[in-house]
Amino acid sequence: MKLYEFEGHRIFSKVGIESPFFVVCEDIDQIKQARKRLKFPIVAKVQVLAGGRSKGGGIKVCTTEKQLVDFAKSHFDCEFYGEKVRFIILAQKVEIEKEQYISINYDTLTKTPFILFSEGGGVEIEELSKNQPDLIRRIDIDPNLGPSKKELLKNGIPYEFAMRLWDAFWRYDCRLVEVNPLAPVKQNVILEGAKRPIGSRGGKDSIASLQNDKYRYVAVDAKIILDDSGLLRHRDLDVLPKGAISAVPTERELVAKQIDAEDYRGSAGSVFIELDGSPRSLRSPRGEAGGEAGGEARDIAILASGGGASLLVMDAVVAAGGAPANYTEYSGNPPAEKVEKLTKITLSRAGLSGCLVAGAVANFTDIYETLSGFARGLVQIKPKPQYPIVIRRGGPRQAEAYEMLEKVAKKEGFDIHLFGPETPISVACEKMVELSEQYKIRNMK
Amino acid sequence: MAILVNRETRVLIQGITGKSGTQVTSELLDYGVRVVAGVTPGKGGQEVDTVPVFNSVRDALDAVGPVDVSMIYVPPLLVLPAAMEAIENSIPLVHIFAEKVPVFDVAKILSFARKKNIKVLGPASVGAISPGEGKIGSIGGPNPDAVFSKGQIGIISKSGGMCSELSMLVSNAGYGQSTVVGIGGDLLVGTSFADLLLEFEGDLQTKAVVAFGEVGGSAEIEAANLIKEGKFTKPLIVFLAGKFAESLPRDTALGHAGAIVGLEATMEHKIKILKDSGAIVAQNFEDIPSLIKKAL
Repeated sequence: MKLYEFEGHRIFSKVGIESPFFVVCEDIDQIKQARKRLKFPIVAKVQVLAGGRSKGGGIKVCTTEKQLVDFAKSHFDCEFYGEKVRFIILAQKVEIEKEQYISINYDTLTKTPFILFSEGGGVEIEELSKNQPDLIRRIDIDPNLGPSKKELLKNGIPYEFAMRLWDAFWRYDCRLVEVNPLAPVKQNVILEGAKRPIGSRGGKDSIASLQNDKYRYVAVDAKIILDDSGLLRHRDLDVLPKGAISAVPTERELVAKQIDAEDYRGSAGSVFIELDGSPRSLRSPRGEAGGEAGGEARDIAILASGGGASLLVMDAVVAAGGAPANYTEYSGNPPAEKVEKLTKITLSRAGLSGCLVAGAVANFTDIYETLSGFARGLVQIKPKPQYPIVIRRGGPRQAEAYEMLEKVAKKEGFDIHLFGPETPISVACEKMVELSEQYKIRNMK
Repeated sequence: MAILVNRETRVLIQGITGKSGTQVTSELLDYGVRVVAGVTPGKGGQEVDTVPVFNSVRDALDAVGPVDVSMIYVPPLLVLPAAMEAIENSIPLVHIFAEKVPVFDVAKILSFARKKNIKVLGPASVGAISPGEGKIGSIGGPNPDAVFSKGQIGIISKSGGMCSELSMLVSNAGYGQSTVVGIGGDLLVGTSFADLLLEFEGDLQTKAVVAFGEVGGSAEIEAANLIKEGKFTKPLIVFLAGKFAESLPRDTALGHAGAIVGLEATMEHKIKILKDSGAIVAQNFEDIPSLIKKAL
């Protein structure tokens, strides 16, 4: 889960990393109130999950209240890099000596965490590594021991700061922590807002950092990605729920995520991406040629099974000219209740023209159990689905499952098409798109 | 011959008394696998399907002698201590079936394993099967013969479902498998595509390898590099899934934690590097059998 900058600073403060004093605002009134707690110049920063805010005009140094209010008016509730701006922070402007860069991340090749540090900062790391590779230092970290003091010092990496960042990284199960720019400031710079006592942000041992590193280091920005699997250990962490592809989750994305949060057995809905025909979502080649804007009436609901097969299913539906309403998957033998909940969420969308339940031949997922969950969810959908439903699965108790589904279809009058493992996934997906097209034509008449 | 698992493999199961532990025990015994002991702290002295249960890995090894593999079937947050215990006791291969293990725990396990020269398969790995020889993990479930058959094709996938789907496709076309391995889809995994290619290279039974690649990560690039360096010389057929996701914003995570849009290489980049290395990229999933035929 990617965090907002201000959420990142909050985690930093827990490990004694100093940030410029800031106030989070949600509307113009709050901006006007907040500005009284700061001295001009004040830095206004939009809060979105995308990077490169400065380049896009999302960060502005203001010297008057009018400038602040104008900036806020032009951004609140507007889209910034495709995300709606809900928060703007006002931060104290810090006189900094220079801009540096530091991050801790995982290397998937060496399978270790590593620190990257650069004497130059302020621009994105990709740019840094292209233009000034000689400034970048990298140290691999033994996760069982933590960073080596000797190596940090040898490479000119601020030791105290790096150790605090490491603390944040592992204590809060982060996939990435990045401070860019990292700013060395003179020891006598007072970071706090007008009425804040010195040291209250830095935590009780920030004095130590004053003594060990030559400068005091300030995290002017904070980028954190949390490991979703680690969230189990941090239920008390104060972070806002995030959507699958944007900062603001849709209602369905929120409730889908809740299914796994409440029950660890198998997974269902942890990843739920709503695709709604907006510019960043999928469009089928056919839809684009026809000049249609996507939208709800032409979409196929997807309940895929398994991480790998779900990708194959999505590719196949798109290749056949279909427009998926969503991406989601369940796997790892979840209980029927979880599939039932996911089914209800997925099919709660209006204007669907088909529902595809597809996955590979399961190894240990009980097909009867999971499809019972699907059937139980399906009968609760209102209005009753008239659109075609295509199911393609295989694995333990598949035959029993299909027998049960046939009965349900007959009793309830559902248009269910069942395919076993002898039918390739792509063929079932093509069939889904074909049936969905026919359904739409019938409905237009 | 096959890789990772054969007729002689002796297996220990950590978390054997849990629901999935109990189930996998009976599936393995049915397949003729030598499950020699199980471990669940506090349940020493019990039996699961005739397999003796011990309180610790040390106790188990003292009683039954050395084992080749420990399979970890415990809840996600207990994987770290369980895996560390297996590694400390020098079990040569640790298979982690559990899903949703925090990445920091995985990093600790893999780092310790490297120091002790222990192989780790997973986490979130469905297991490995050498058809007709033996299997570890839940691959194939209760009825492995429905999709797997003995033969010359090595199969690699992150996903358990795609392991059986690919094997079924290959079996139905008249080819069998030497070993099928699900490596797990997490950000960090103990055994990579490249590690397995090296194993398959040394395996006389394996004549070609089929791999199911995904959007995100760099596994396919590593594989291509091995081919270029001459370290893998058998035909490699790769199918890549997740093209649809490239229209989503960077950093969007899909079903597998390692399947993140924009992480390392793009799909197009992967296809090009694979093709340049001499690997065969399957356009359609169903083309794989005919590509095998051509390659053999």
